[in-house]
Amino acid sequence: ETLKMSHVRPQDTTIDVELRTFAASVAEATGGEIDIQLFPASALGDYTAVQERISVGALDMATQPAAAAADRRMQISSFPYLAATWAQAQTIYGPGGAVREVMNGLYAEQDITVLAAYPVYFGGIALNVENPNPASTEPNGIKVRVPGIKAFQLLGEALGYIPSPIPFSEAFTAVQTGVVDGVIGSGAEGYYASFRDVTTTYVPANTHFEVWYMIISNESFAALSDEDQATLKEEAASFEATRWTVAEDDQARNEQRLIDDLGATVAELSEDDLAAMASKVRAEVWPVVLEDVGVDWGQAILDQVAAAAK
Amino acid sequence: MIEIALLAIAILVITLTLGVPLPYCFGAALMVMYFIGDVTMKGMMLWGVQQLGNPILLAIPLFVLAGTIMAESGIAASLLRFVNAFVGHIRGGLGVVAAVSCAVIGAISGSGLTGIAAIGPILIPEMEKRGYPREYATALIANSSILGLLIPPSVTMIVYGWVTDTSILACFLATLGPGLLIMFSFSVMNLWMSRKFNLILDDKPTFSELSSEVAKRGVHAFPALLMPIIILGGIYGGIMTPTEAAAVAVIYSVPVGFLIYKGLRLSNFFEAGKEAATAVGAIMFMILFSMILSQMFVYESIPQQIVSSIFAITENKIVLLIFINILLFLVGMVVNDITAIILIAPLLLPLMTAIGITPVQFAAIMGVNTAMGGVTPPYASILYLGARIGKVKVTKVIPPAMFLIVTGYVPVVFLTSFWPDLSLFLPRLFGY
Amino acid sequence: MTSTEIHVGGTMDRFAAILLTSLICFVALGQFFQVITRYVLQIPVMGLEETMLYPTIWLYIFGAINASRENSHIRANVLEIFISSERAHTILAIVGEVISLIVGLWILSWAWDYTQYAWRVWRESPTLYIPTFYSDVALVVGVTLMMAYTAWHLVKHILSLKNGTVA
Ligand code: NA
Ligand code: NA
Repeated sequence: ETLKMSHVRPQDTTIDVELRTFAASVAEATGGEIDIQLFPASALGDYTAVQERISVGALDMATQPAAAAADRRMQISSFPYLAATWAQAQTIYGPGGAVREVMNGLYAEQDITVLAAYPVYFGGIALNVENPNPASTEPNGIKVRVPGIKAFQLLGEALGYIPSPIPFSEAFTAVQTGVVDGVIGSGAEGYYASFRDVTTTYVPANTHFEVWYMIISNESFAALSDEDQATLKEEAASFEATRWTVAEDDQARNEQRLIDDLGATVAELSEDDLAAMASKVRAEVWPVVLEDVGVDWGQAILDQVAAAAK
Repeated sequence: MIEIALLAIAILVITLTLGVPLPYCFGAALMVMYFIGDVTMKGMMLWGVQQLGNPILLAIPLFVLAGTIMAESGIAASLLRFVNAFVGHIRGGLGVVAAVSCAVIGAISGSGLTGIAAIGPILIPEMEKRGYPREYATALIANSSILGLLIPPSVTMIVYGWVTDTSILACFLATLGPGLLIMFSFSVMNLWMSRKFNLILDDKPTFSELSSEVAKRGVHAFPALLMPIIILGGIYGGIMTPTEAAAVAVIYSVPVGFLIYKGLRLSNFFEAGKEAATAVGAIMFMILFSMILSQMFVYESIPQQIVSSIFAITENKIVLLIFINILLFLVGMVVNDITAIILIAPLLLPLMTAIGITPVQFAAIMGVNTAMGGVTPPYASILYLGARIGKVKVTKVIPPAMFLIVTGYVPVVFLTSFWPDLSLFLPRLFGY
Repeated sequence: MTSTEIHVGGTMDRFAAILLTSLICFVALGQFFQVITRYVLQIPVMGLEETMLYPTIWLYIFGAINASRENSHIRANVLEIFISSERAHTILAIVGEVISLIVGLWILSWAWDYTQYAWRVWRESPTLYIPTFYSDVALVVGVTLMMAYTAWHLVKHILSLKNGTVA
């Protein structure tokens, strides 16, 4: 059985290498029964379209962010400042975590099975200009491109930037020519992959915890034998477990790469700075986004997250 | 699977030759993939429609509309008169005016048709009056009109950047060098040709006459000259994205056309809007189905298979480049520029990358070849429009057009392929 | 053409011109507004981009419908150049229209499939949560009308072939 899997990063990036290893171990564990064929760099379409195509059974698998077009509640996955540390992130998004369980359910409603979560990084802000006061959340007049996701637009504003909605396809060019001065919504690894020539300053503001999901269409999953299904799940679980152990170092390595390879400045933010940003965003952004996803539904999850953090 | 892909392409070519509208030709190829190749259509519409939503595509109708408005409104005519003030009195100068004016118009319009549509009706009779053969004048302006696709902005480069995920601004700059070289080579060829014509020349003006004339026409052309500055300055100066620049071009040209040059009236304004929207509508369905077709190819890993089967024959870069240029020339003979790009670019880009041609240089190679397709028979939309505007028989206009293509165009096509700096110098300068 | 046909054609023409020009100017104004708010006023408007998607898609679709109405879709009339008889041209046009109809109806079935999907899932735009169905439905509307016009051209061509007149 050949399973076609899409992911969003170019060939030979960390995720691509890790997924190739995963595919190899699945092939080995199933005695060649399951052949996972990778399609890097969104060759099968951007993650929104890919998720919908998986949902209708037109594509088999993907490892990518959750797309909220079909269900706005999926925004819970990228809620800003939900986790503050890697340990917290694992309790929230890891197996059995509050957000993880909810996401499993939301995906299931779209006829999709979640095989694993893939922790990527804590997000930050990449700028092509200097930010003399990166810790401040006062308006700084710096225009940043934000993805078309409400939480990020509000987040940018709360942190003092001028958020500009520019389509991703034009984002790089827009930063390069100076239509905007930077980008928000990704992290060190993402900026290195897509914005490396226009990143001179990186603000590791821990804006959100970026987590991707390894998903498979229920139709493709059901077509596998019981034995292969179990093997695939096991391999995915161990893929995730391994990732949780290396992700934090991976993030540090990517931030270091911005400094070493690009000569970018990485702003120093203290724990107090981050806490101040977090509380401002929680106060200003959360209520609005909660309104969108359903206050009762969302608050219940946030309560669970808070309870787990104690 | 590659056999079925080739069958799909064969069906595409056959239906195309029969004169079936292009969207359905691609649809017929899709049917081959679906019914014979057993590739799923499920989810394909979903993907295709999402592609159409990309705002960058919106730049196409807007740049086309800006071009149509400038042709209708007298904006182009004032540019023509301005350019003419400099070189009109030189022997063969009027031919140079044609090439240079088309280049200037190209800096506003994104299409290859604007030049001939805008200045053909004025310049062809004028050139004939001054002793140029009518069919030669028509061929020269039609060929120069292609510069609209090579001098940025350009709809073909927008489409190329979009299907190959390459920076559109870098693609714009990539064809600028070859475009200027073509303008230059047409000018030189024209001066050489002009020796044989029995031309009527103006008296050579004195320097003060010349400068007062340049100043007078310059003032009149000023609002028009501002347009390329707003568009290209706005894009490269970091004020707006290409799509926004296209919108600004339209917004700017409407009052200028209505109030300053006064060539724009309600009737031709609505006609221009309808033309631009219909042109883009006709393109969009073609784009939708061709994107789905190429997505099916990606899904079945056809491009990789093409690369390996071609490499099985030869890996020689020079041989491959010559082969690809011939292929593009043949494709350009039968289909229009945008079709050629969406059909060929995704299929061949992996091959080009494998032999060390960057996506930006390939943009230039595709750009000059597909632009040339507009004047190479049998399907030569720009040349035929020229023949209609110049009121010359198509068969009469083909010989001088072929002469200009072979002497002025083909050398630049080869230079673009074998001299990377020609297309990469400007993009590098801008940091791409 | 009868005089009623000319009259209807003229009205349709004017209607198409006004509709298409309004749509294209509307999207141009939207983009222009974005530049002004971002560059001049320094307060970009959220959600404008996703709002513009609706008139944009309808612009494309109405443009395509109008191309079918005018029979001005892009074709590579390679054969027509080598064949000079009007009768042969009409036969060629009929062949082209039959193929268009076969392909188009197959496409229509997938457009319908897509519309049902869009209705069932009821997707929303990312910040203003405008249902995307209102632009999704354009596809099936567009293909249907394009098929209707293609069928109409086919009928006219067949009649002209029968009556020996040139359509
Ligand atoms: Na141009
Ligand atoms: Na041609």
